[in-house]
Amino acid sequence: MELDEFRTLVDAWLDADADELAPPFTGTGTLDEQMTQLAKVKGAAYDAGWMRWGWPSRVGGLGGSSLLRGYLGEALTRRGLVEPGGYSMVEVLAPTMIDYARPELAAEMVPRLLRGEELWCQGFSEPGTGSNLGALACRAVRDRESWRVTGQKVWTSFAQYSQRCVLLTRTGTPESAHRGITAMFVDMTSPGITVRPLGTMHGGAEFCEVFFDDVSVPFDRTLGEEGQGWSVAMDLLPFERSTALWHRSAFLNRRLEQLLADAPPDSLSATEVGDVFVQLFALRARSRGTQYRMAAGEHLGPETSVDKILLAATEQALFDLVGAALADDVVLGGDAVGEQWRAQYLYSRAATIYGGSAEIQRNIVARRLLDLGAET
Amino acid sequence: MMDAGELELFRAALRQATSSHSGKALDDALAELGWRDALAADRRVAVSTLFELQGQANATSSALDVVMAEGPVVLPPLGSCDQPTARGLGTYAFANSAPDGVVLRPVDGIDPSLGLVEVSGQLPRTDASSWPDALAAGQLALAHELIGASRAMLELARTHALERVQFDRPIAAFQAVRHRLAETLVAIEAAGAATGAAWDMETPMAAAAAKAVAGRSARTVAKHCQQVLAGIGFTTEHPFHRYLRRVLVLDGLLGDTRTLTKRLGEELLTTRQLPPPLPL
Ligand SMILES: Cc1cc2nc3c(=O)[nH]c(=O)nc-3n(C[C@H](O)[C@H](O)[C@H](O)COP(=O)(O)OP(=O)(O)OC[C@H]3O[C@@H](n4cnc5c(N)ncnc54)[C@H](O)[C@@H]3O)c2cc1C
Repeated sequence: MELDEFRTLVDAWLDADADELAPPFTGTGTLDEQMTQLAKVKGAAYDAGWMRWGWPSRVGGLGGSSLLRGYLGEALTRRGLVEPGGYSMVEVLAPTMIDYARPELAAEMVPRLLRGEELWCQGFSEPGTGSNLGALACRAVRDRESWRVTGQKVWTSFAQYSQRCVLLTRTGTPESAHRGITAMFVDMTSPGITVRPLGTMHGGAEFCEVFFDDVSVPFDRTLGEEGQGWSVAMDLLPFERSTALWHRSAFLNRRLEQLLADAPPDSLSATEVGDVFVQLFALRARSRGTQYRMAAGEHLGPETSVDKILLAATEQALFDLVGAALADDVVLGGDAVGEQWRAQYLYSRAATIYGGSAEIQRNIVARRLLDLGAET
Repeated sequence: MMDAGELELFRAALRQATSSHSGKALDDALAELGWRDALAADRRVAVSTLFELQGQANATSSALDVVMAEGPVVLPPLGSCDQPTARGLGTYAFANSAPDGVVLRPVDGIDPSLGLVEVSGQLPRTDASSWPDALAAGQLALAHELIGASRAMLELARTHALERVQFDRPIAAFQAVRHRLAETLVAIEAAGAATGAAWDMETPMAAAAAKAVAGRSARTVAKHCQQVLAGIGFTTEHPFHRYLRRVLVLDGLLGDTRTLTKRLGEELLTTRQLPPPLPL
């Protein structure tokens, strides 16, 4: 399947099934409604075959270029059928499973994620470990039959809806730093796991605290080898900054278009609108290049930090403009439209925090791309 | 289309030419190595390679005239992107072949080495319908030149940061310095990507957007690199000042960032719609 043909077929399908696929709510909806909608759209896209393109056959895919995944997510986002954050978890977690899980485990689990039957979360951050991921403390020790995990994760997005978690644990000594980390694929229904949703400033409870009290995780759920967790994480993060980011750029495009449609006359200055437009133009150009490098089989690495920095800057520039031009909606709005602008405005404030903060991305660029040596 | 080997040779020949010649001498060198043939065969490669290297070397040539109009051309006044009617700017190529009735005044300005002239009087008549294409072609070329100059500034600042020692360590060890240089690289990469997209899209709007991004990036790059270079970068003994001068002129040719950004915004506010986005 070539990209052009795929594009035509997906668009035709989305046109034909527009009514069934549309969200049953206006505006953002509750988080519950969003999750139901996400599962519905993924399920329908899987049944129609589209969701399987771009994934290898050993995990139930139909093969073809990863560009097909890029386009599908873009089309679904552009039409407002899914929120890019929840949808793109597929792009972050499925490649990790494909690269690091036992083949039988990946073959069993990945289709469930693609079909929308399951949601997975990413358990990296801890109360004492945000940016300094290498210092994480959630402990896993070898028992006779399994790992036993004890510790806490925090800000774990969608944990309360997730059946599984890609979890980073400390298996080495506390001093082992990034060498002593092991990744595992954990069932969220395992005894000993407690999930406590945390309210977020943009509304709903997108993320949670997750507590592990002597949780048993079978050895065959280890992702990669013992002690290889750092590589798993370092390979996962660039995915967050590639296809997922392309989807997000489609979302920004859609919202800029909506801003142009909604903003009262004289509330927007040409210079400010033009400025956001050219930033978005550059972001999409950059992200598109990354899509093509990935499709050509190149290994994605620290250069994706450039994409993330551009995304965060563009998203905040766009919503700064929204905050100013649609202040009535953002500050006072009480209807579904106003609440949606407000939620998205507030969420944009996190673009320089999640997935590695703006400062951490600049540290990566300085160290890895500019080769400036160690920092003091 | 050139294959990888040919491209490498072409690039090496252009690097040699731009680093050893400027102005008329560079024109001669380009003629000798067949740059116009390359332009006819693969426009994108010929333009992007030459202009980035020219920007990097702080050299000048009459290639902008060639790209826009196959020969000497009158550019709009600084900042503007409208086809010039009463007055404009010319490169040295125009100055050397100006028709009768045209009044020339040498511009020294901030970057005398460019050899720009102010043009007034009876401007040569050109077809208005060909302006948008000429403009877009020139904007893309200038975007590449701005990127080349930006890369050169980053290289100067990066080398300096690694060599200059203060408080017993290279200043590259200080996070404030590192983040400025990181910002610089991000700006350059954004401009590079935008320019590539403009070649793919082939719309006037995309060329204008790419030039706007490149101009904005170059100013960001100049600001951060100047701060990292500090005192030494403020002397005329250090090459930095030549790039700063060049960038300020190049940004102003065929629409500066501010004008282009505002124009794009005005178009969007008129239609209240976005143009079709860059497809995957
Ligand atoms: C909406 C949202 C969703 C999230 N989802 C998830 C998820 O699903 N899974 C998950 O594991 N995590 C998730 N996170 C957590 C996120 O990854 C962390 O918040 C982030 O890594 C920063 O960590 P921190 O909040 O502990 O900040 P800290 O690391 O404490 O940083 C605080 C400030 O100090 C700065 N700083 C820290 N170190 C340095 C340094 N070396 N140099 C310069 N500045 C520095 C930071 O940039 C930041 O500005 C999410 C966060 C948000 C906001």
